Amino acid sequence: MTTLIQTLSKQTRNMAASSPWIYRINAGSCNGCDVECATTALIPRYDVERLGCQYCGSPRHADIVLITGPLTARVKDAVMRVYAEVPEPKVTVAVGVCPISGGIFRDGYAVHAPIDQHLQVDVNVPGCPPRPQAIIEGIAQAIAIWRERL
Amino acid sequence: MLESLYAPIAALLFPGGLFALALGLALKGLDRRLAARLQARVGPPLAQPVYDLVKLAKKRTMVPDLANESVFLGAPLIGAVSMALAAALVPIPGFYTPSPVLGDLLVLLYLLTVPAIVLMIAGSASGSPFGAIGFSREMTMMLAYEGPLVLVVAAVAMRTGMGMGGVISFSLTDIITYQQNHGAFLFDPVMWPALLAFLAFYPANLGIIPFDIPEAETEVLEGPLLEYSGPALGLFKIMSALKAVVVLGLGVALFFPIAPAGVAGLLVQIAKLVVLMLIGVTVVRVSCGRMRIDQAFRFFLKWPLALSILSVAIVALV
Amino acid sequence: MNFVKTLIRNLVHGPSTEVYPFGPAWTPTHFRGRVEFKLSSCTACRACEQVCAPGAIRFDKTPEGLRFLLWHNTCVFCGLCEHYCPTDAIHQTNNWHMAHATEHQYEMKIQQLIPYVSCTACGAKALASAPSPAGVEPPFTAEEIELQRNLCPACRKKALAERGV
Repeated sequence: MTTLIQTLSKQTRNMAASSPWIYRINAGSCNGCDVECATTALIPRYDVERLGCQYCGSPRHADIVLITGPLTARVKDAVMRVYAEVPEPKVTVAVGVCPISGGIFRDGYAVHAPIDQHLQVDVNVPGCPPRPQAIIEGIAQAIAIWRERL
Repeated sequence: MLESLYAPIAALLFPGGLFALALGLALKGLDRRLAARLQARVGPPLAQPVYDLVKLAKKRTMVPDLANESVFLGAPLIGAVSMALAAALVPIPGFYTPSPVLGDLLVLLYLLTVPAIVLMIAGSASGSPFGAIGFSREMTMMLAYEGPLVLVVAAVAMRTGMGMGGVISFSLTDIITYQQNHGAFLFDPVMWPALLAFLAFYPANLGIIPFDIPEAETEVLEGPLLEYSGPALGLFKIMSALKAVVVLGLGVALFFPIAPAGVAGLLVQIAKLVVLMLIGVTVVRVSCGRMRIDQAFRFFLKWPLALSILSVAIVALV
Repeated sequence: MNFVKTLIRNLVHGPSTEVYPFGPAWTPTHFRGRVEFKLSSCTACRACEQVCAPGAIRFDKTPEGLRFLLWHNTCVFCGLCEHYCPTDAIHQTNNWHMAHATEHQYEMKIQQLIPYVSCTACGAKALASAPSPAGVEPPFTAEEIELQRNLCPACRKKALAERGV
């Protein structure tokens, strides 16, 4: 009986892990990384829906959060509020080098990069901007981490 | 052949409840896959809606501070239950006739308004401005498409009633029997204005492009569903899957219920629903852009309303 | 009715999606990807440090030598270092597989040491300059180059002046 429950819970975990929904937060980005993220969904060449992903319009619906941009001082409070709206369990992916270290804007007076001093980041995807295939690779790693947290 | 089933089993298991849910999720999976292939993409696996529901069941529902908690959590429950019950009211020609205890076409019409009302209430109970915008847009769309729906149903009921010697008959069983004896309304030129009005009504009711204005992702950030997460959002997805089965099943029953008796009738019904979904929903969804709320409202007040009034007049005079 | 033709063509031709991540992805040959550093060609001129746009390249003086440090998480892959290096010691490959978990983010670096040597003539501390810089053809034999490498700049100036051109 317990093995039945165990296999059932493993099956539901695998099924649930086949449906990660993605939400993008633009934390002051130049939009280069956001364009590459958009191509993973909209362009037939890099279809991210094969992995079961779907870009959703509300942070409440999301499982994987993609953050682009160095956390500029102007949007810092808004980003922290929106980030808190995403329900657990969630995985955060920092897309581009700006959230990881500030990128080209490092040591600027208006940026609060690196972003992992304000919120927890799980996967980094360096690049300026990273290729859509690299973003999909990062999302695949994030799905693997999320599966463990489910 | 099953004449009628004991009402609770019909509402919970077959053909309402679980069976309609499974059918609705399968239709949605087919729809997403075909939409992807039409856009030259690969698309998700066919069981993707099931995976979405399982995942939503594992997340937690967060209730906003400003929301009215009982209404916020009760609205999706009411919507899902009403659609499960409505699926038991839609007859499967040749296989299943709903028991008279459950109700007839009028009850089905009232139940069809419940999902829209539930979305409106959910939007206004969310306590967020996007929810309020979604609430007002859903109300506008409902005002726009309910008129043609009621008139089309009245036209079909009148044609059946007058053909059987009375004036009007709201029993779906009578409508199906009349069409099986006298030919489907799909091929009856007198009913073609009603058919056209119904073809304009169902995309608005199902919430597909070009009329998915209240839940537009890019414009109002998902409107009424913005603050929902976890199992409550899963109940909304269940409601929309069931609604597809109910509305398409109603279209089949009103205009083309010719089917063999027995299990073949069930299979023919499923095939008709699949064809209607793929051609009537997916191709439309993929090839159009979304309309603005004022454009959609004006459109519905012009052609579908005129066609439905015309069809009632023609049926009354002929 | 163009959309009907497009829909039918999409259905007939099949999806135009790349197989990645379920198969290899095509990469252009000159794609500006991960940086590679060839220690044997670096003359420690520090031009790359000057032109690096986000300051990803750093040279630090340590007791053992000059340490080259490049952190990929702040490199913007602009290619300026490769353009300005006179001896082709730093160049970009077309490797874009750099997605990593955040716990490894400080391991995404290139850290190499250009060692100090003692000058064979006067014993002062000197950098051993590049044994094989690319694109440079000094008019000396290999043994002479090896001898001059192990001198400090002052002694090397004297030795070259004595040798003549």
